[in-house]
Amino acid sequence: MSKYVVDADHVTIRFNLSNEKINNLKEYAIKLVKKELMFQEFLALDDVSLKVKKGEAWGLIGVNGSGKSTFLKAIAGILKPYKGTIKVRGNIAPMIELGAGFDGELTARENIYMNGTLLGHSKEFMDEHFDEIVEFANIKKFLDSPIKNYSSGMKARLGFAVATVDCPDVLIVDEALEVGDMNFRKKCRERMSELLEGGTTLLFVSHNIKTVREVCDHAIWLDKGKMKMSGEVAEVCDAYQEEQDRLDLERRQKKREKNFKKKGKVYDYLVVGSGLYGAVFAREMENAGKRCLVLEKRPHVGGNIYTEETDGIHVHKYGAHIFHTSDVAVWNYVKNYAPFNNFINSPIAVYKDELYNLPFNMNTFSKLWGVRTPAEAKAKIAEQIADLNITEPQNLEEQALSLVGTDVYEKLIKGYTEKQWGRDCKDLPAFIIKRLPLRFTYNNNYFNDKYQGIPVGGYTQIIENLLDGIDVKTNTDFFKYKKKYKNFKKVVFTGMIDEYFDYKLGHLEYRTVRFETERVEEESYQGNAVVNYTDREVPYTRIIEHKYFEPEKEAAQPKEYTIISKEYSTEWKPGMEPYYPVNDEKNSKLYEAYQELAGKEKNVIFGGRLGQYKYYDMDKVIAAALAEAKKELKK
Amino acid sequence: MSAFRYRVKVLYQYKDLIKELVSRDLKLKYRRSFLGYIWSVLNPLLIMMVLTVVFSTMFNKNIDNYPVYLLSGRVLYDFLKLSTNNAMKSVTGNAALLKKTNVPKYIFTLAKVTSCMVDMVLSMGALVIVMLVTGAKFYWTFLLFPVVVLQMYIFCCGLGFLLATLNVFFRDIVYIYNAITTAWLYLTPIIYPLERLPENMQFLIREFNPMYYYVQQFRDLVYTGCLPQARVFYGGWIIAFIMLVIGVTVFQRKKDKFILYI
Repeated sequence: MSKYVVDADHVTIRFNLSNEKINNLKEYAIKLVKKELMFQEFLALDDVSLKVKKGEAWGLIGVNGSGKSTFLKAIAGILKPYKGTIKVRGNIAPMIELGAGFDGELTARENIYMNGTLLGHSKEFMDEHFDEIVEFANIKKFLDSPIKNYSSGMKARLGFAVATVDCPDVLIVDEALEVGDMNFRKKCRERMSELLEGGTTLLFVSHNIKTVREVCDHAIWLDKGKMKMSGEVAEVCDAYQEEQDRLDLERRQKKREKNFKKKGKVYDYLVVGSGLYGAVFAREMENAGKRCLVLEKRPHVGGNIYTEETDGIHVHKYGAHIFHTSDVAVWNYVKNYAPFNNFINSPIAVYKDELYNLPFNMNTFSKLWGVRTPAEAKAKIAEQIADLNITEPQNLEEQALSLVGTDVYEKLIKGYTEKQWGRDCKDLPAFIIKRLPLRFTYNNNYFNDKYQGIPVGGYTQIIENLLDGIDVKTNTDFFKYKKKYKNFKKVVFTGMIDEYFDYKLGHLEYRTVRFETERVEEESYQGNAVVNYTDREVPYTRIIEHKYFEPEKEAAQPKEYTIISKEYSTEWKPGMEPYYPVNDEKNSKLYEAYQELAGKEKNVIFGGRLGQYKYYDMDKVIAAALAEAKKELKK
Repeated sequence: MSAFRYRVKVLYQYKDLIKELVSRDLKLKYRRSFLGYIWSVLNPLLIMMVLTVVFSTMFNKNIDNYPVYLLSGRVLYDFLKLSTNNAMKSVTGNAALLKKTNVPKYIFTLAKVTSCMVDMVLSMGALVIVMLVTGAKFYWTFLLFPVVVLQMYIFCCGLGFLLATLNVFFRDIVYIYNAITTAWLYLTPIIYPLERLPENMQFLIREFNPMYYYVQQFRDLVYTGCLPQARVFYGGWIIAFIMLVIGVTVFQRKKDKFILYI
């Protein structure tokens, strides 16, 4: 005796297409005379083998028309194979659809007996298990009403209850559980696992891959009657899903191309700005089959994360960008578009001729005061704060002093902050600094996030990969383009929100920085990617040495030269490159007013740092763009 | 032999299904009607009255107690017509079910003929009522009527299997058979006495119309009150089994192809 419960061996099932259409004598006679009665065969199943052991749960997956139901019918004995053999050991619940054979006119009570006897049970057997069935299906109240008045969920419940009343050796379940509610589905799963434990073998068909994964331990994937794959459920489902996603994308792209030919170049979205927000949004939309056009004012894509390769070094043209996030989804997303190194940002602060580690941590404190333990450092800071005796800080200086004490403030905060704002710390409001994180461990990692790194080969590739296959126009000003063309349905605006409204409520203010980039003919200029200059006498706030963003590349191929950027804080005037929004009361209010205007623009989405007047880290921008795209697609 | 034993075993396994199907047919037939089962009796009674009014003047001289003569033939004919018509549609009508369950397909045909037989036995009540009303004599031979019913049941099953099979492949058979049953009604001495036909017609009907065998036997038992002639009696059984063999053979040969055509 074979050890398999179901043993389908090279099963082929053939339908004769031409014959199927002839079912009256006249047609038959005509075809006979015309000699058109030839075979036009169609193989619904082509050489499929399946061996199922006792107690296994097999999922059959595949698109519509792939032969799943045909295969089940063959196993149930409804269809005879044209070639090959099918052996089933033990009794099979020979019903490939739950509740098949329910008669709408009969009551549930009558149908239970009817269905039970259809499954080959005797009347006595059904008498014995009647209550059990009614209880499982939970239809006691409606037992004597005709089943045509039942909802599809109730019918499925009843069908399932009848089919599983007696542990069959082989149970076939075809697309049945999708109609029931959560509760019932749970109940069914429990019953199925009970049966499986009791040695029942399950053959399960569903389009819902999630359910197949949950219920089954094995799966077979049919495609156009042929077996594409069979084995462990996870493997087969993964492969199937991958294929489905691929086909889906292809189909959408084809549809899009067709629409394009029909209607000319009409875009669903006009994305203004090719920064991270715009690029992620456009990518997501394209993946969903929408068509986007990306406009970029600058001659290159990428917004401020743009990096440019100069003499083999990727120069961060708009300031240092270090990717860090705690959001694993964002981290995985961004890694799809570029490989990342394991760069960790550990800046150095230079105060006159002294060097300190940043952020403020035990290395910093140790260097400042020669302390060794966190307790000593804390005591020192507390002592300094107590000496000052500041109760209500009136300005930034007093605020900072009350938080970190004299030494840290004087050497590491004061000069840097004054250069940043172009004003004396005494003249700056206290609220700019709410807290100053002090770290009492020997850890120079500037960020606290789980994941950190720099794309190997620069940031620009991320944008280029995101925008792959998407129409992009660089050197194009949206406001001029808008006047000329109307070939878009919706706008995603990532530029300055005040500019969009032609500054009619006034200018929003920004902090801006200026870079002086130069090539230096020595192997290393400062030996670190970022060095902050914290005394006020040095005009720049920091120096970036770009090669150290990719230290692994430098280690593998040392260069004789280096490229550095000196970063100067500059007061912003309209027309300058905006960098950081100023979140003071005045600007926040103005932004709120603009936001109100934006709310009235029905077909415009404002996004990103400038569109939302908000300081965004790169990971937050990606998350925001993904969320917005998702929201858009739901509409 | 083991194949035969297996068949019997399967049939036994599904005996309750046949019961359920038969009781469904009967229940559904009269559900939502006020008189319910009484219609099984009332219906032939009403038809009999109509036919009596129309035809009694025509044949009154030849036949005493025309209503009983008519009804005794009519009850059998109705059974033939109804059961074979229903059996013909039993496979195609259950297409949805047959595509989804692996139940022996003949069960449905068998159940249809059976439920019609039960219906006929019930409508025997109409015959009894008419006999009472018209003051006809009751003979002990009346009690032998199940023999005729059984013969006809076997015959109708055989014919039903054949028609069911044909109907799967050629739906036209429904219309053709409709014409055939009408002709059959007039070629069987039900509303008229056989003697009124020309000699050669009488011969053809006597020899080759299966219905003649059953109607004749039934009338002998119920109307005339004598035992049927041997020729008619044995002929009835032989015809029934020949029909059954033909029907079953055709059905068995083609049943695996049904699924492709329904």
